[in-house]
Amino acid sequence: MKSNVIFFLGLVAALGISWGGIVMGSNAQLGGLAPFYDDSQSNAFPQRMPGIAAQGQLVYKGLGCAQCHTQQVRRPGFGSDKDRGWGDRQSVARDYIYQPAPQLGLSRTGPDLANLADRKPSAPDASDLLNLLYSGANGMPSYRFLFETRAVGVGAQPSEKALKLVGALEPKAGLEIVPTPDADALVAYLLSLSTPYVYPEAVPFTPPKAEGETGAAK
Amino acid sequence: MSTTSEYSPTDAASRWPLLLLLIKGIGWLVVSGIFALIASIQLTTPNFMAVCPVFTYGRTVAIAETAFVYGWLANAGLALALWVLGRLSGEPLRAQNWALGGAIFWNLGVFAAVIGIAVGDATGFPLLELPRYVQLILFFSYAAIAIPGLLAWAGRLRRVSFASHWYAAAALFLFPWLLSIAHVMLFSAPARGVVQPIIAGWYAQSAWTLWLAPLALSVGYFVVPKVTGKVLPSYEFASLGFWCLVFVGGLTGGRHLLGGPVPAWIPSVAVVSCALLFFHTFVVLLNLRGAFSLQGTALKFIAFGIFAYVAGAVMDAVTSFHAVALHTQFTYFDEAQKQVALYGAATTILFGGVYFALPRITGKAWLSPSLVWAHLSLSLLGVMLLVVSLCAAGATQSHDLLDVTVAFSTIATDTRGALLGATAAYGLLLLGNICFLANFYGTACEILKISAPATFAEPEALETHAS
Repeated sequence: MKSNVIFFLGLVAALGISWGGIVMGSNAQLGGLAPFYDDSQSNAFPQRMPGIAAQGQLVYKGLGCAQCHTQQVRRPGFGSDKDRGWGDRQSVARDYIYQPAPQLGLSRTGPDLANLADRKPSAPDASDLLNLLYSGANGMPSYRFLFETRAVGVGAQPSEKALKLVGALEPKAGLEIVPTPDADALVAYLLSLSTPYVYPEAVPFTPPKAEGETGAAK
Repeated sequence: MSTTSEYSPTDAASRWPLLLLLIKGIGWLVVSGIFALIASIQLTTPNFMAVCPVFTYGRTVAIAETAFVYGWLANAGLALALWVLGRLSGEPLRAQNWALGGAIFWNLGVFAAVIGIAVGDATGFPLLELPRYVQLILFFSYAAIAIPGLLAWAGRLRRVSFASHWYAAAALFLFPWLLSIAHVMLFSAPARGVVQPIIAGWYAQSAWTLWLAPLALSVGYFVVPKVTGKVLPSYEFASLGFWCLVFVGGLTGGRHLLGGPVPAWIPSVAVVSCALLFFHTFVVLLNLRGAFSLQGTALKFIAFGIFAYVAGAVMDAVTSFHAVALHTQFTYFDEAQKQVALYGAATTILFGGVYFALPRITGKAWLSPSLVWAHLSLSLLGVMLLVVSLCAAGATQSHDLLDVTVAFSTIATDTRGALLGATAAYGLLLLGNICFLANFYGTACEILKISAPATFAEPEALETHAS
């Protein structure tokens, strides 16, 4: 290669192809995706996250939860996603249109969270999640810095938000463990993760039977 | 053999920016090793340092990766790219102050990124955890560092350019583009929903194929013929191999999104591209097979790097298939693949480049041959142990994940043994890199000692032979 100009133009073309194809191509296909309006329910899906959940997503991102948790359910039959109760249908692009920064994740050291609030057979509630964050689990660190241990004032009622812990983690008498606003936001976010509505594109494709086949089946 | 041909005065004239970039790079390598070790311990002992928000697992992993890619690989890769381009141009580097200033700001940017991630400003995108506010600093300082390289490339004495030129110049040109596209489409004017992970995947893959891999290959294409003293075999294919990488490399990023909420054409394009990329990998292997003569420390590292580069390409292509991804997706196997590329291939080739370049830049032989030997053996042993452990952990995890009855706490117990192996590997690598840092620092400081005017030994004597 002797010409600097041709070399440079080659680089421009190469990057242009992958940028135009992958980035702009997918943006053209999915960037304008609109919510799906269902006449029978007089409502559009997906629905926007509550404000506190949007705050919680920032906590989720800042703590790097996506290093161990995915938020993408693969279709039934591809992996054990459905059988583990993570969701009856695959995640589709429309599920994420209102998320400011979708955290799809690349690793499943922990379970998938795309549909946490609707997990089968039983979904966790706020106190389950707060207890898990405080105590950690085998394979999951504890996040004590998201909680505050403080004294219950003399004659005062304990906070209704105080964690109900038993065993070794139970606080000493006169102390209570309450979640910080970050913990509350994170839990609100986790509980907002649900994909209940089945979009047309989320239904697996079943090829229509040819007329000859139905005739033969009779 | 005359010594003047091997030691050129252009090296001495352009040593300061190169030494600054290299010492910063190796420093970041040690920092990254410390965080990688902490993160690895946390995988088996989740509550290790977990009381401190700065050291929670999600952040230690991101810091280790950022310090490794933007601290070590970028600094060392840029230093060697500038050195190679300067050498090939036949003149001292021009506009060195741009590189010096750029290097200072680049490293301030990486430092700010690490602090930012530690306090919770990570972006959650793999290989692009850089907080939004440091990306512009990195963009401009990279451009400043690249200026001497591009001047050397454009002002070369001979019109013909070599494979080292192409790879180095491509890396210098393409990274600022990649980063600016990612910055605009993910942060300034973020794309909607799932387009973001697609862009992030494209960026991560392109950062490897169009930036880090070319930086390493430029070193390989320069050092291998220098050490062996032979013309590269099948060199006529080198330009085809280069253009194959540049055109196809950026298209392979979608393979991680297989089965995800993205259109099926994205992973399909990646499968085809991974297969096409074999042509490039094969050409590299064909051209650089002289490295397997293993003469001297530099070629030992580079030969291992080329082996890992080929192995990594095979792993990428095989795991992009649907039936294989069913087992490997979302497991430690992905991490193993990443380490094969970033550590096994890019890092060891850059190690080889540093071992070759430093005696020439400083005019001093490596201070301690035993530290060189320690670094070589610890690095190669560490990488192999790391990859084998992560693959073993990935196999267990994959088997358990597909079995619905196995709970996640059981998976953590089952993978514990293999992950302890990975922790040991990170320990070995860190130890090796501390040896490397000490040896590098000691050798570089030799310049400051007042000595007789340069009398240079035969090139063989400049290199320490580890064996």
